[in-house]
Amino acid sequence: MTSQAGDIEDIAVQECPSNMDDAGKAEVCVGCPGRELCLEGNKPDPDQKIIDTRLRAIKHKILVLSGKGGVGKSSLAVMIAQLLASNGKSVGVLDVDVCGPSIPLMMGVADQPVLDSQWGWKPVVSPSSNIKTLSVGSLLASGSQAVVWRGPRKTSLIRRMVKDTLWGRLDYLIVDTPPGTSDEHLSIVKLLAHTHPEGAIIVTSPQKLATGVVSREIRFCQKLGIPILGLVENMSGFRCPCCSEVSDVFSSGGGEYLSVKYGVPLLGTVPLEPQLTAAHETGSNFLVQLPPHSPTVERVREIVVTLQAKVEGN
Amino acid sequence: MTSAAGPNATILEGVGQTVLVLSGKGGVGKSTVTVQLASALRAAGHSVGVLDIDLCGPSIPRMLGLEGRDVLTTPQGKWVPVYVDEDQRFSVISLAFFLDSKSDAVIWRGPKKNAMIKQLLTSIMWNVDYLIIDTPPGTSDEHISVMENLRSAAVLGAVVVTTPQMMAVGDVARELTFCRRTGINILGVLENMAGFVCPNCSECSNILATGGGEQLAVKAGVPFLGRVPIDPMLALCSEKGENYLVKCSSSPAAATFQALVTTLTSQSDNQMEVEK
Repeated sequence: MTSQAGDIEDIAVQECPSNMDDAGKAEVCVGCPGRELCLEGNKPDPDQKIIDTRLRAIKHKILVLSGKGGVGKSSLAVMIAQLLASNGKSVGVLDVDVCGPSIPLMMGVADQPVLDSQWGWKPVVSPSSNIKTLSVGSLLASGSQAVVWRGPRKTSLIRRMVKDTLWGRLDYLIVDTPPGTSDEHLSIVKLLAHTHPEGAIIVTSPQKLATGVVSREIRFCQKLGIPILGLVENMSGFRCPCCSEVSDVFSSGGGEYLSVKYGVPLLGTVPLEPQLTAAHETGSNFLVQLPPHSPTVERVREIVVTLQAKVEGN
Repeated sequence: MTSAAGPNATILEGVGQTVLVLSGKGGVGKSTVTVQLASALRAAGHSVGVLDIDLCGPSIPRMLGLEGRDVLTTPQGKWVPVYVDEDQRFSVISLAFFLDSKSDAVIWRGPKKNAMIKQLLTSIMWNVDYLIIDTPPGTSDEHISVMENLRSAAVLGAVVVTTPQMMAVGDVARELTFCRRTGINILGVLENMAGFVCPNCSECSNILATGGGEQLAVKAGVPFLGRVPIDPMLALCSEKGENYLVKCSSSPAAATFQALVTTLTSQSDNQMEVEK
């Protein structure tokens, strides 16, 4: 090992400051090529007042997070929103996944553009469930248009989405996020910080492999001081429609393992359901599309009951 | 950092051909495909390297049973990849090797990720015929950085992985647009998680709908590389870091990967003839 090796390892191991106020100023930032950008984004936000006013009109703000992709963050965000709406709540869904927005398709608003009004962007209302949604997908012209953006540009778009959207009064705002722990996450957490979000729901799939990545997300929440409302294990087993044999398609036990390891409550496990995919793809309400006794519906209902008790109890 | 990645550092020195594994969507099995493809290439007698540039969620080391291994550094400040096999013909670099703990979160903004990727591309001592680059989901910093830096390297192209749902297909269509715009050759679309054969009654259920990958390939005018059905054995092997292709050599998934290797190597040979 030479002294150079030491340098390299330091860079790999050290992290960007978790406190946004220190971005660009901390010791680790010296020599980082992104320092300028971080410093630029670190001035007190002149629009914070507007942002806070808009967000104060929303009673409960919940983040849906997962370090891993494809575990069902969007799917779960949509199901929770639809159940809350069916319980008579006014609900909004904000999709901050800039590069792979899937909320518009799931909500059945894929071809509706966001309209600009005097008071800001008017979110698109899902016809199947009366949920207000805003997503980069609705701001793009075509479905296959790629958003190839670097971090700072994504940050500024997310800021606009929070600042300029006319949500009105809402009981719940569910924020769907992209996989990982990077620009989008830091941005949205910073924007919401002043108005105290209720916390985060962390989604995992049952494999041990996923839990490794998801535990990073738990650490992210702990570092940034976001309360963790609980874990949800998605894709948990598949009941063969032919013989009713339950197979653990993606092995099992990941959610419970994480829950015990980090002392985070496990809100529930949601089994695989082919009809759910169909419901999401056609943008319909899963409560209408799936049979009412479907285990998936039952499990998500239980999760929402727990969630509501937690959030509204305070 | 300045020592290793100087301004004149060569991109991917010691690499024959580079293959990228991409997907707009997360959790479709990019890392699984990367590992299986690398194992299949290795079994076909080539030397392979795997570069995992998923900085926020690296999973390659776990899949290959390499967790907790350290990267050695040469006196010149270059990194020596971690070897999977004894005869050193299968090597891996992942950010996970540089982290202290399994659960350490890498909370990095774009610019810092770009610097790390540049460094990973310039300061590793590869000696391989094929390098497979595993990417995070999306079309953002990591991808732009890789594409920019790969311009001067020999790139065979990108394998784009999707799952069969329309939802995933939408994200992956965006990834294809990205490839076109950055001028990267698309080797084809691979459909993962296509159907699940019940181990009890052999009924095949299309859990995540079906046929999306093939439709997308036809629509976009790119080759369709095949289907990999859901196989709990594959998930198990990935978790334990075992070699699936050896354990289940007669499975449909294994056949798809072997066919993929044939496609890749023949394309690689063609390209070399043209270059001569």
